[in-house]
Amino acid sequence: MEFQEDLVPKYWYNIIPDLPKPLPPPRDPPDSEFSRIELLKRIMPKEVLRQQFTVERFVSIPEKVREAYINIGRPTPLLRARRLEEMLRTPARIYFKFEGATPTGSHKINTAIPQAYFSMEEGVNHLVTETGAGQWGTAVALASRMYGLESSIFMVRVSYEQKPQRRTIMQLYGAKVYSSPTSLTEYGKKLTSQNPDHPGSLGIAMSEAIEYAMTNGYKYLVGSVLDVVVLHQSVIGLETINQLRNLDEEPDVLIGCVGGGSNFGGFVFPFIGAQKGTKYIAVGSFEVPKFSRGTYNYDFPDSAGLLPLIKMITLGKDYVPPPIYSGGLRYHGAAPSLSMLIKEGIVKWREYNEREIFEAAQTFLQAQGIVPAPESSHAIKAVIDEAREARVKNEKKVIVFNLSGHGLLDLPNYESMMKRMS
Amino acid sequence: MLVSYLTLGYPNREQFLTLLKGLVDAGSDVLEIGPPPKYAKYDGPVIRRSFKQVSSQGYDMWALLREARDAVSVPIVILTYLEEWIPTLEDFLIKLKDIGINGVLFPDLLIDFIDEYEEYVEAVRTHGLKSVIFTSPSVPDPLIQRASKLSDMFLYYGVRPTTGIAIPITVESLITRVRTLVENKLVVGFGLSDVEDMRRALKAGADGVAIGTAYIEEIERGGVKSAIALARKFRGVLDGS
Repeated sequence: MEFQEDLVPKYWYNIIPDLPKPLPPPRDPPDSEFSRIELLKRIMPKEVLRQQFTVERFVSIPEKVREAYINIGRPTPLLRARRLEEMLRTPARIYFKFEGATPTGSHKINTAIPQAYFSMEEGVNHLVTETGAGQWGTAVALASRMYGLESSIFMVRVSYEQKPQRRTIMQLYGAKVYSSPTSLTEYGKKLTSQNPDHPGSLGIAMSEAIEYAMTNGYKYLVGSVLDVVVLHQSVIGLETINQLRNLDEEPDVLIGCVGGGSNFGGFVFPFIGAQKGTKYIAVGSFEVPKFSRGTYNYDFPDSAGLLPLIKMITLGKDYVPPPIYSGGLRYHGAAPSLSMLIKEGIVKWREYNEREIFEAAQTFLQAQGIVPAPESSHAIKAVIDEAREARVKNEKKVIVFNLSGHGLLDLPNYESMMKRMS
Repeated sequence: MLVSYLTLGYPNREQFLTLLKGLVDAGSDVLEIGPPPKYAKYDGPVIRRSFKQVSSQGYDMWALLREARDAVSVPIVILTYLEEWIPTLEDFLIKLKDIGINGVLFPDLLIDFIDEYEEYVEAVRTHGLKSVIFTSPSVPDPLIQRASKLSDMFLYYGVRPTTGIAIPITVESLITRVRTLVENKLVVGFGLSDVEDMRRALKAGADGVAIGTAYIEEIERGGVKSAIALARKFRGVLDGS
């Protein structure tokens, strides 16, 4: 008899050796006074950095990390969206992996746990990161607590003020949460002296977190975009493969939303590696049009330009995103591996506007009862379109998507959308 | 096989020539010479410092290369970024051949010119030069196999993303993997700078090592003589002592 926990993989999957072309390495800019690659060595836990540059196809998950995954409720459920199928009158079968079932409500905890674990193993006692909407900060706050480490979270000021519940959860876990820009860093001081009411941005919070980690000898945890994060997130796709196998289902279409690309990569890449599925769809926001308007170039992952240049699809590090409610999709770039797969045509993309995703979210929650995060609702919109197409063509295909988080802490956003859209 | 890297004209013209001869006497089988590029895309801070120093002195690249060629008889490979020479590639290759340089190695060939790399290899060979191909861990298996067959002299395998920064990697597993794919001679470099790393690389199946950053650091610390002594030490490790 197979136990639920047997579905949790013992290895993470790394797509780098299976990419069609060599992945362009990170670079320092031409006239750099210091080496940003050297900087990574100073701010990231050693094992995390080793994994960032590993080219092994399978990377062993430490037993203690696997236990922690099980302890937070992995495997997360793979559910069939029968009511949604009925509502759409589609012959397609729709499944979703529910990452909202983790204690922090999103997939982010999947990489926070191993990064905190490796930090603890290396004798680090304090972790630092930034957070925008709050999912990543919550994950780091919990993971730090699990291993008895201190954590400092730089939270973008507008979110800090507009999302007090997220702040409260982080504080309950024991994290120190700062409204960025702060007066704790030189960068933050410079910005607040120019404008005391600076609203902050994810790039600014990231730069502050890196500076704070550096000056205090703490370690910095990275929440998306980098290959190591996508590696850790592969636990989502690997579990889904096991769960589908138990259901005797072969997937046709795999769908996920893209902020920095880690939930998408974590969910879809294991399928690409196992040559399962025929169509992979990455969904972004119409308001942050990186797929339709971005270029494939070397660019900084952070707006202050402290990290090395990476080759990715990007709107430019200085891009100012509009204030859409899917905070997690406002990022200017996408993970290098995902960017390459999109450029090579292996992964297709879609972009939807806020009105479309609001309707999709409502359709889904009325069918299945789960309030999706606005980010995940982008994937839902693509699922609905695929299911409708299946109805027109009368195809019994199997559509599987990643519901990367629940939206119970996004209710003020939904409320505001309801007012605007009515 | 000991492949020694020198930045052209570093630390200055005279000492560069002393270093060149000294590295050959110490047992280098091949010399790689790097003229300071416009953009040192994959070079770490140490090599970048050497470029900066040389650039401020303003040598005639071609005259100095000619002097270097005349000073030693081992094969000389020019290590430079293809991107920089594309507008004048033909002229560049003719001049190199004319001086008596043996080959070129473009670290950006398989990264930034992946769709047309074979044409460039052909162009280099048409001009009577050897084309040494640079690969790295993120190059997919089939491409490593193909590049290995195409590469002249040896296949260069850079184990770290940037020269001279000791990003933690597992040298053995990286090399064991390519060893099974490469029939050509395999030279490992790019961030391999201590004797332990070097021993591991050889044990895992490398036929040789390429050393660069370690020499420059040694020159910064103790001058050219000390770098030559380091080359002797590396030679010793290669010869099994």
